[in-house]
Amino acid sequence: MRKRIVVLLIVLLTVSLSAFAGAQAEADKGYDLYIYNSKGENAAQFAEMAKAYEAETGVRVRTFSIGSGQDHMETLRAEMNSRNKPSIFSIQGVKELIEWYQGGFVVDFNSITDASFKALANNISPSLRLTNDGKTSFGVPYNVEGYGYIVDRQMIADLFGGASVDAFIADAKAATYAEWEALVKALDAYIKRNVQATVKLNGKAYVLATAKTGLAKNLNGVFAVMGAEKWTYGDHFINVAVNAVFANPNAAANATDADVEQLRGAFLAYAKALDLKTSYLAGLRGAATRGQDFVSSANFGYDQAVQIFADNKAVFFKQGNWAYGNIAGVNAAQAERLEFLPVKMPFESADIKVAGLTVAKLNSSIPVFVPNYYAINSQVPAAEQKLAMDFLVWLNTSATGKKYIVEEFNFIPYNADPATTTLPNSLGNSILDYIKAGTIIAAPYHGAPATWSGDVVGLRLMEQYLTKSNWTAQDYKDIVDYAVQNWQNLN
Amino acid sequence: MDFYKKWFWPLLLPSILLFGFVILFPFVVGVLNSFLAWRGTYYFDPETGIRATNLFASFVGFDNYANAFADERFIRALVYTVQYTLVAVVVVNFVGLGLALLVTRARRGAGLFRTVFFLPNMLGGLALGFIWQFIFQIVFTDILFSPEGLMHIPFLRYMTQDSTKALFALVILNAWQYGGYMMIIYIAGLNNISRDYYEAASIDGATPLRTFRSITVPMLMPSFTVVFFLTLSNSFKLLDQNIALTDGEFNTRLLAMQILRTVKDTAPPDYGKAQAQAVIFFILVASITLTQVYVTKKRELEL
Repeated sequence: MRKRIVVLLIVLLTVSLSAFAGAQAEADKGYDLYIYNSKGENAAQFAEMAKAYEAETGVRVRTFSIGSGQDHMETLRAEMNSRNKPSIFSIQGVKELIEWYQGGFVVDFNSITDASFKALANNISPSLRLTNDGKTSFGVPYNVEGYGYIVDRQMIADLFGGASVDAFIADAKAATYAEWEALVKALDAYIKRNVQATVKLNGKAYVLATAKTGLAKNLNGVFAVMGAEKWTYGDHFINVAVNAVFANPNAAANATDADVEQLRGAFLAYAKALDLKTSYLAGLRGAATRGQDFVSSANFGYDQAVQIFADNKAVFFKQGNWAYGNIAGVNAAQAERLEFLPVKMPFESADIKVAGLTVAKLNSSIPVFVPNYYAINSQVPAAEQKLAMDFLVWLNTSATGKKYIVEEFNFIPYNADPATTTLPNSLGNSILDYIKAGTIIAAPYHGAPATWSGDVVGLRLMEQYLTKSNWTAQDYKDIVDYAVQNWQNLN
Repeated sequence: MDFYKKWFWPLLLPSILLFGFVILFPFVVGVLNSFLAWRGTYYFDPETGIRATNLFASFVGFDNYANAFADERFIRALVYTVQYTLVAVVVVNFVGLGLALLVTRARRGAGLFRTVFFLPNMLGGLALGFIWQFIFQIVFTDILFSPEGLMHIPFLRYMTQDSTKALFALVILNAWQYGGYMMIIYIAGLNNISRDYYEAASIDGATPLRTFRSITVPMLMPSFTVVFFLTLSNSFKLLDQNIALTDGEFNTRLLAMQILRTVKDTAPPDYGKAQAQAVIFFILVASITLTQVYVTKKRELEL
């Protein structure tokens, strides 16, 4: 009896195993449109949006969002190799485009005849397009993002007096690097030794309060910095310097060795600005200095730096509008009072190679760029591609679609009119102010070789320089050489 | 007996199928891919610069292997892995055998000790890595070995920020994790040694050291074979702990992680090169462990 059962089980197992391989019948897929979303932070809202679309149009949408912080490329490649490929998938800039372009997975919007989608595609501002040669266009932007030094208006009021906050912000935006450097040093002396001083910004004088009041009492340093996060100084901070030479990612991607040489002056300015920023650090438990503690994720990781800033221990915090949620999680009241100030570097006129750009313009602008695009998969049937176009048009032009983008995803719409749009969060509105004023730069570092900014330059800085207390002129030169040579080697 | 003779093939079939689908087939495909310009979702044609229309157009011969050996990071990871393995095998064995000798000699609570020593093995590599990251970064650096701490030992501070220190940090982590597992194997081996030999030795007046060298070690050879094999192959294949502890920063990439990260180091992702590294890795681990098993097997006593 027992033997029979054993034999029966084995036969069953064998049959099911062999059946597993062949018998997936070509039945209804259970959806009409499949969207792969690589932004895990808005997974729940994204699914809700899909339901709303289904309710309005009857198109059955399947959404797939990866977990926050998970590697989106591995999962997307697996989906692309499967039978049911996504109809819409996301591409995070030019770096990722090469792969999908070579593999023949993207649709060039120039080849599309559908009238309403054509209109949407043509309305994407040329500077925001996902393109490999300046003519093609492969993606509809998710949104725009920006970054700079985040500052709390209440902190400025406590430091310089409540009446002058707006004037201070405006003058700090326009200030030169020399004025910025003097401001940082004056703040440091004020915080550590109570030295009361007058600082000049954009030529106008601002006086520090005689005694520390309000939030200023909590300060222990000038900057909150994530020493353990290579991308903050490797990708984002260096991007400001790359802007001096390359106007957009494509210019950087097509750069020759000689073009890359042109970056030397800008990178020297970068090294000096980074030296200044990391010389006046705030910490969780008192002022901090560069050293081994500074690159340890237990002390200066993402969450720790947010905590330092939200606890009012630092005046400036270089981060993007994506940090809004993190800051609000720690200090909801502060999150409503935030503004961006531009990242300034000691550029010389000769360092700037982009036509029409000046030192003053570069030092008063913040990078605003598209972090993520929706692309249409050319390998799904034409009918499904059509549904994908209809969906993208709906998402970016209908009232419901726009409501999800602004209110649920907390995004800044790429097609927002800054004159009439107000967003439900302070940092988003601050970026709109920059767009309105026209003081924005791009993210050309996206066009640098794949690992250059973060894993090569960022890693080098973390391992050799952020652990070193004093930087010499030779160190500046070494940083510049390393950045330039590795870009050329990786090309 | 008859039953098994009659049902030999049907009984074996499920295992053969599983092995074929899950190991053999992917292995063969992997080796083939190491000769192609594979990019993960398509095969690249170096002639046209886009997706190849057929596999032959994507054939690159030994280019992927040449690229792998030309990659400084691969060579560094290879050297680092060999260094790590040498230290780890010695330390893990030492700890495992030491614990086994202690536990078999304990008069009371042997079962409790055995369980406690084995416990770390129940945790996953990533979880362990993060726990030890905390220990190295906070407990070691700020509490125990800082100038104000228990004892000022600079070598034990910031262990995750230097490739030499991180090597020992990984060894500590793994001795803690695998020590208990290896202990279990040694305990089984120790319990199999007949008391008679020890009794005879003590009558002859042998010292404990002599007893250990002439009786325990030779009689434990089968356990040594197993434990050396496990520690050697585990050390070579170490991945999760490496990622969680240092993520390869400060030149601490081991081979497995180097292979995993190759596709991130390149855009478009060079899966062909990663696959070539994996084949080299396989040949290396297989030849070293097989040699080890052959050598230690020969020294086992036939009783």
